[in-house]
Amino acid sequence: MSSLFDVLPATLPVLLAVLVLLDRRLLRACSLFVLFALTVALTWWRLGFIWLALLETLLGAVLTGAFLFHALGISPARGASPARPSHGQDPVPLIWRRTLIHLIPVLALMGMLAAALASLPASDSSPAVRWSGLVLVGLGLWAFALHTHLLRRLLAFNITGTGIFLLLMTLVGETTTAAGQGLVITGLAVALLGTALGALLIRRLDALAPSQQPSPVNGRQVS
Amino acid sequence: MIERLGLVTTQLPTTGSSMMTLLVVLLPLLLGMLGGAWRPWRGWPGLVVALLSLLALVWLTQQIATHGTQAWVLDLGTLTLHWRANGLTLLLLLLTQLLVLASAAYAPAYLCDAVQARGRGPAWLWPLMGLLATSLSLIWLAADLLSLYIGLELMGLTAVGLMLLPGREEALAAGMRYLLLALIGSLAFLLGVALLLGGWGRLDLAGLAEAVEPGPLLWVAMALLSAGLLLKAAAFPLHAWLAPVHGSAWTPVSALHAALVIKASFFIALQLWLVLAPRAAMAAWLVGGMGAAAVVWGGLLAWRADKLKDVVAWSTVSQLGYLLIAFPLLIGTSQAVVSIAWGGVWLQLLAHSLAKAAMFLAVGNLMLATGESRVSGLAGASRRFPLSLLSFGIAAISLVGLPPSAGFTAKWLLLHASLAAGQWPWLVVLALGTLLSAAYMFRVFRYSFVEDVELQDYRPVPLRMDLIAMALALASLLLGLTASWPLAILAIAGGVP
Amino acid sequence: MSQGWLPLITLATSLLVAPLILLLPERAWRARAVLNLSAALLKLLLVGLMVVGLYQGREFAFGFTVVPGVEFLLRVDALGMMFAGLSSLLWLATTVYAIGYLEDSPNRKRFFAFFSLCVASTTGIALAGNFFTFLLFYELLTLSTYPLVVHRGHSAALAAGTVYLRYTLSGGLVLLLGVVALHALVGDVTFGEREMLRDLGPEYHSLLIGLFLVLLLGLGVKAALVPLHGWLPRAMVAPAPVSALLHAVAVVKAGAFGIVRLVYDVYGIQLTFELGLLTLLTALSVFTILYASLRALAQQELKPRLAYSTISQVSYIVLGISLFGPFGTIAGLAHIMHQGLMKVTLFYCAGNYAEELGIHRIDEMNGAGRRMPLTSLAFTVGALGMIGLPPVAGFISKWYLGVGAVQAGMPWVIGVLVASSLLNAAYFLPILHRLWFRAGPEHGKGQWPEERRLGRFETSGWLLWPTLATAVFSLLAGLLAGVPFSPLDLATLVATEEYLP
Repeated sequence: MSSLFDVLPATLPVLLAVLVLLDRRLLRACSLFVLFALTVALTWWRLGFIWLALLETLLGAVLTGAFLFHALGISPARGASPARPSHGQDPVPLIWRRTLIHLIPVLALMGMLAAALASLPASDSSPAVRWSGLVLVGLGLWAFALHTHLLRRLLAFNITGTGIFLLLMTLVGETTTAAGQGLVITGLAVALLGTALGALLIRRLDALAPSQQPSPVNGRQVS
Repeated sequence: MIERLGLVTTQLPTTGSSMMTLLVVLLPLLLGMLGGAWRPWRGWPGLVVALLSLLALVWLTQQIATHGTQAWVLDLGTLTLHWRANGLTLLLLLLTQLLVLASAAYAPAYLCDAVQARGRGPAWLWPLMGLLATSLSLIWLAADLLSLYIGLELMGLTAVGLMLLPGREEALAAGMRYLLLALIGSLAFLLGVALLLGGWGRLDLAGLAEAVEPGPLLWVAMALLSAGLLLKAAAFPLHAWLAPVHGSAWTPVSALHAALVIKASFFIALQLWLVLAPRAAMAAWLVGGMGAAAVVWGGLLAWRADKLKDVVAWSTVSQLGYLLIAFPLLIGTSQAVVSIAWGGVWLQLLAHSLAKAAMFLAVGNLMLATGESRVSGLAGASRRFPLSLLSFGIAAISLVGLPPSAGFTAKWLLLHASLAAGQWPWLVVLALGTLLSAAYMFRVFRYSFVEDVELQDYRPVPLRMDLIAMALALASLLLGLTASWPLAILAIAGGVP
Repeated sequence: MSQGWLPLITLATSLLVAPLILLLPERAWRARAVLNLSAALLKLLLVGLMVVGLYQGREFAFGFTVVPGVEFLLRVDALGMMFAGLSSLLWLATTVYAIGYLEDSPNRKRFFAFFSLCVASTTGIALAGNFFTFLLFYELLTLSTYPLVVHRGHSAALAAGTVYLRYTLSGGLVLLLGVVALHALVGDVTFGEREMLRDLGPEYHSLLIGLFLVLLLGLGVKAALVPLHGWLPRAMVAPAPVSALLHAVAVVKAGAFGIVRLVYDVYGIQLTFELGLLTLLTALSVFTILYASLRALAQQELKPRLAYSTISQVSYIVLGISLFGPFGTIAGLAHIMHQGLMKVTLFYCAGNYAEELGIHRIDEMNGAGRRMPLTSLAFTVGALGMIGLPPVAGFISKWYLGVGAVQAGMPWVIGVLVASSLLNAAYFLPILHRLWFRAGPEHGKGQWPEERRLGRFETSGWLLWPTLATAVFSLLAGLLAGVPFSPLDLATLVATEEYLP
């Protein structure tokens, strides 16, 4: 059953990521993201990177989660207040054609990456993790292009980042583990700071926007 | 090529130069923290201390001129970081310190007299500015990908933070967009680094230069790295975020951003190409083509722009195109071409940084004085604000590349290099860029000479703000005829093989 | 590298005046006038010193390296001295004139600052020792004249300024490309090192022809060679001293002077001749001379007529150069000075008429000779000189041109000269007739468009004296052409150097 033990930690994050990115309710998506981060921490632990597992739990799950909830207007002091309507729905409905069109460049990128990875020696310990990392990157980018809601984009960014971290750690060899860990830790810190900044910004924008209307940035096509 | 970047060295650093480098890197941060705590409304005491780091740099130059390129290997357990300092590094450090110093000297008067900013924003300005200087210094010094990554991320987030400080809605919206793009850019960079690490198992640039071999892995990694960096550098198809960000930012922050932050991404990109793909002429032509498109498109946007700050911001896109032409001129060309283009590229960077910072400050002064943000609001400015307009004009001379400015000398070198390399298209691009930049710059002047306009109320800005803009503009002008001086710094210690 | 400081100080006299003027407050017009005049006098003195030194065979050069292989070089030679002498002389006159002309008008500080910069660039062009330095000041000239052209700030001035920039910046850019290409081909060419291009083999000849054309295109814009002349008549909206300066010394002459440098000091007359480029220049200049004269005939206002006349007259310089032989050369070079003196006189007169009487159109000039006799006398001298009547300086130029044409084996050029002189007469003589022989307001018929009593004499002394001075100089340059240090003498010196190695 060792193969199942290998495959499960690798597939669980992917499944959770799909749920995070496609859930209609933002509050649930954010909760799922915390769960996602915890499973990734589990994967780190399985791979033998205890420090990364701890940091992922702390930075990725706890702090990032806290900031995400903060962006939703939920703080521990006030308890769970219902999210505002503007946060509950997406301004642009997901239709199949849009979804597919955004999939094409992502698939092209995935193809490129796969071609590059194919020329590398296969990961000895965790081939499944590498592929799940790759899928996470693709999923995240796709969702990033697809969604216009700022919070969803932050979620997508975090998932892409996590995918890259997973990919990175399966690529490092014995001698370069330290360098890889350095990169991932920096990346985690950056992701946390970025999310924090983004969450604070969303709050400020909501505060500045007229109260009843959806905040102006939500509807705007970013990039 | 990696000799020019100072990556090949056997020199061990002297203790003195290590201390001084550390001082140069950390002093701005320290001063920034202090500034955040005390919020100086007068910049002078802090500036006097900040001059220390300039002195340290001069001393460092002396050291490197005598001892050669200094390289540091920092062992942190199993992790090793590589730093180096050569002529190029020194030049960029010097530029950074000068510009940060100028912005810091400009900021108190700007915040106090002009913007009348209250709240927490001004308090955050100082530490963020210090952090920006530190992260930039780190980028110039870094000789391995991990240090570069740390520096790049630090710089990116700091820059976003600085842009957000005004706290107005449009600043926040533009800042949010900038943040998301910067984050995506850094992810692409990290993915590229991951591939390199996986492929060749090392992160130090000198080692990678020897180890890498062409193949799909290298190409994908380079594509990712370049895409991430060019996004951050606002290179042509990825430039749309730039003008809105500048439009609402504080003037000294805009100046630093256009002069240094964008250049840092360009610097990393060029360095990586020179180290990892020094023979990839075809791909370099692709980047050069992007540069050409940037020159033309940025110029057109600047020409059509309605707001003063947009003119300046789009001109950054256009000017960055000149720098991107460095890729085809430096990659896969003969030694003779490289030796001409090398000086031209860095001179262009210096000229543009100084001139663009000066121009942002001058535009800030003009906007404060007239209370107008549109170009047409400048009507009659030549009589009322001659000093601000003169600084703007001198900076414009350098940006257009008219003699005797540094921009001209740089353009001369780039033209010469393109001719020597037989790469005719760049001649056309440089010529077009000159005409376009002249068009959008003189459009601004045209309004300022309008005489028959009723006197609207205006308030003069403090003289200090005008003088700082003027000093930077003059620096960019005078570097034109004294170009041998920065080129001499560039050449010391392994700058020329 | 002996006595390198002299050219540098000469340049600095006008270059450093500009920031000083900017520092003075707007209302300190006395201090500004003193500063301007003393700098102009000092410069005239220094140029005089250099001319004397040149005759004694001394070398003046100042240079430093800008980037490896490119040098900034100021050097004194006979050709440059002619131009420097002209610019410093006319600067003095025009400064006096401008002080009077701009009295009580706004933005004088800005005007005089850029005026000084403009003269500094002209001096730089004269002293430039290589094409890089030449280009530097050539472009600086564009920049410093733009604020002068748009000085008045109304929409016509702004439109003219835009046209002016379009032409000159494009021309400057083309010149830059040409100079860089030349630099890439043979490295830094110091003016006078003709052998560098001559020694290139015949396989380079087509390349050299192409390069020459590019450089000519760049220089031709400022020299207002047809069809690159469009900016000049429009730039007439500028104040009179600016027009005078643009036409007589600065911009147009810079272009013509550049062509002279190109032909004599870079390519060498021999090589230019062998490449067949002289014929091209002859054709171009003949066409310009005739076309511009015809256009001048059609103008109803005084200043545009003078502008087209300038276009035509400057081409005499190019025509002189293009005639292979010492006499053509002498004619072309001497005409740089002669045309400058005469044309500046005419423009001063036009300014005087406009300031004192409000006259802009030619048909308003009836009887002005009685109201403003001295100005009209000066105008007559200038106009007769343009036509080429002795003893005014213009006669000398045309005489030498004719001899040069015969010497070069192109006697048909004499026909062109005659035709052009007739055309000149056709557009100047009617004006003279109106001035002196028609009855006008002074005779009790009609009235002046806008009469002002500006001074004790017929107009303000500041306006009158420079006008008379330049008129006298144009007479003297003709009368005393054989005396040492005269324009003709300097031109002969240059020609001897060129043809007798």
